[in-house]
Amino acid sequence: MLPHPCEICKIARAQILRPKNSSRICAPCFTALFEAEAAETIIANNLFQPGERVAIGASGVLASVLKTLNERHDWKLDLVLLSIDEGIQGYRDHSLEAVKRNGADLDLPLKIVSYEELYGWSMDQVVAQIGKKGNCTYCGVFRRQALDRGAAMLNVGHVVTGHNVDDVAETVLMNLLRGDLPRLSRGTSIVTSTPSAVPQSGAQNGEKAVLFTNVKRSKPLMYAYEKEIVLYAHHKKLDYFSTECLYSPEAFRGSARTLIKNLERIRPESIMDVVRSGVDMAKLVPGSTSNCKGECSNGSTAKVASADDEEADGGCGSGTASNGSDSMADMEMKLQQNERAEANGTETEVSMPERKAEATSMGVPHNHETYLSLSPSGSTSGEVPGGLCAAKTAIIPMRTKEEKRSSRKPARDAAAPKQRLGQCERCGYLSSQAVCKACVLLDGLNKARPRTGVEVGGGD
Amino acid sequence: MPGRKPAAPKDSTLCRRCQINEPAITTKVVKRMDSFRVKHSDPGQERVLLLPLSFGACSTTLLYLLSEHMKGQVERTGRSGYKLHVLHVDEGFNSDDNASRMQLDTVKERFPEHTYSLSSLAEVTSMEGITSMFKQEAEHENQESSTPPLSMNELLSFLTSATSRTDTLQILRRRLITTFAKIHGCESILWAHSTTRLAEVTLAETAKGRGASIPWLVSDTSSPHGIQYFYPMRELLTKEIIAFSSLVEPPLIELIVRDVAKPAVSTKNTSIDDLMRQYFESVEREYPSIVANVVRTTGKLQAPEVREAEERCELCEMPLGEEAPARSRLCYGCIRTLPWVEN
Repeated sequence: MLPHPCEICKIARAQILRPKNSSRICAPCFTALFEAEAAETIIANNLFQPGERVAIGASGVLASVLKTLNERHDWKLDLVLLSIDEGIQGYRDHSLEAVKRNGADLDLPLKIVSYEELYGWSMDQVVAQIGKKGNCTYCGVFRRQALDRGAAMLNVGHVVTGHNVDDVAETVLMNLLRGDLPRLSRGTSIVTSTPSAVPQSGAQNGEKAVLFTNVKRSKPLMYAYEKEIVLYAHHKKLDYFSTECLYSPEAFRGSARTLIKNLERIRPESIMDVVRSGVDMAKLVPGSTSNCKGECSNGSTAKVASADDEEADGGCGSGTASNGSDSMADMEMKLQQNERAEANGTETEVSMPERKAEATSMGVPHNHETYLSLSPSGSTSGEVPGGLCAAKTAIIPMRTKEEKRSSRKPARDAAAPKQRLGQCERCGYLSSQAVCKACVLLDGLNKARPRTGVEVGGGD
Repeated sequence: MPGRKPAAPKDSTLCRRCQINEPAITTKVVKRMDSFRVKHSDPGQERVLLLPLSFGACSTTLLYLLSEHMKGQVERTGRSGYKLHVLHVDEGFNSDDNASRMQLDTVKERFPEHTYSLSSLAEVTSMEGITSMFKQEAEHENQESSTPPLSMNELLSFLTSATSRTDTLQILRRRLITTFAKIHGCESILWAHSTTRLAEVTLAETAKGRGASIPWLVSDTSSPHGIQYFYPMRELLTKEIIAFSSLVEPPLIELIVRDVAKPAVSTKNTSIDDLMRQYFESVEREYPSIVANVVRTTGKLQAPEVREAEERCELCEMPLGEEAPARSRLCYGCIRTLPWVEN
């Protein structure tokens, strides 16, 4: 049998079967095409401004592609590498070595920001403290801030991440499984931050430097298959690493990932189709408040949470940052409690201390909304949101039951209320509440930490 | 709901299974049939609803439950709010044997009060546009144009993958049933999809690039085909329905034809729909509430307004919207499914 010639140059022997469209091409044509497609995505979405300073989140392939394209198209981008060290032994330490090698090979400056240095806690320490369950909450919240803070340290206003189409498709399926409609749209958009939503309280940080509250995110490789990224790395002799986080067993993401891999086996194009469906479905999500009934129509600024702890779904099942139920079993339990309560016709007793804690803590749990909305909001629950409001922010006036009733309906039908983003009063990070989620989580962690200086400074 | 008592009072003489399962199952379905109460129809003018019956556990159980529901209506008010037209679509394109007919007769004996029809999926090829859509391909393949209509096997032979075949068959079946309902003056179609099935549909359609049409396929809405779709079993898991069907006296088992589960030989012969079925079978076992949550959530997606004049996909008849690929009269999902259509 004759070997297939490359479909593009018609000369060389085809080495690669593209999952995207089953075309057979040779390696040089493939790398050229891969770069051309990345450039197309970047240009079509107008991702970069000429001369922009851009930080590249740990991805050797993305760094290599961007460096090549930057020179080829003369974009005059100022590229730096930015890597987050969560402090997970056996997971991040290996990949950091690879990042360092890539940085040296590509001759790009590299900045490594560690959780340890930002928060005083590495993920290994966090896990030692709170156990293997629910630690993705911490990692997700910390990572989101860490990337922004790292970018600000480098004085960069734009971080690009190496998310590929497999990642995005995974996120779509995961959000469907979790029943998280609001995140459906964010997961599929190529640029994710909303700098315009940030009140520019410049007085506070008088200097001109990039504020860590105002960092743009984008995913230039979001239409590239993971397989092709690996192939590109292989042919370009780059270090490619992909390790699963050790701490995320049984998370929704894992289940979605398996599903994606199986889909790819059946019909490789379907990964792209999942993303396409995700984009289409995001348009059908009803005006954002509709699935959080009582909670946010009572005036809380629940939606903001989506902006301030938006997932940085890098390596692990961190997407569930806001509610801690990162495993399917946890969510199943919660849903069943709601169902039982509904069946018995009783009020859903979402235990008060927990809710208060969460409410005062600000990380208005948007996933939680889904649970809460399932519960019949009878008369007594009227007190709860009222109490919440009082506890949560000073902005929201206490309302009587009647007022609430009358205002509830229209509020639900009305267009999504404008997000009210403020800043954390402790660290200044974006937050809808007085104190941001990371600070709250840290408070919890630090409380349990012995106050003997030896332990704290030990950094084991 | 305040002041409202649970629909089924607990009878202490019943066993736990009967206390909990049976009334709950019935209520969950009856609740969904709220718009077909007696008071919503004038005497002598019952509304006719189409119930597609596959002889599977779900559709057979739905037929049983609705028959009981109608009996209850008659007992209470002297008449029922609706009539059922039961349709079975025969899919054995090769065999002329009478298995379907005989099975349908058995069902008819048990529930004689309804109207029954038998149709064959092969009839779909004589529907407008279908043969020509596939025939273009046929002519492409061999010059002498085959005389219409194509046989079902010919039609399927153009579809190269398991996913394409399953997907196309589903679409054609839906079209056939919808057309049948319209011809026979049915007001709505009552699909017997369980929660599990709806979750499968949601994820399978997502993976086939049909995200935009999901609201029309999983929620109780007027479909773009000009007829209402209802999913009265949407709050029941497949396993609950199967368990229930064995509790009914006399049992429904003999009316149910079980799918012979074909073990997947290779992924090549597995379709996306098969994959999702297997996936949710396992999720249902361990995390039933997550399955329900998927359905509840996708139920919140809002179907866009369908304008009458809007262009429809030639195959699945879903509105093309603004997103239609240029020069195409097919939607994105159908372009993916028909292998000869250029992307």
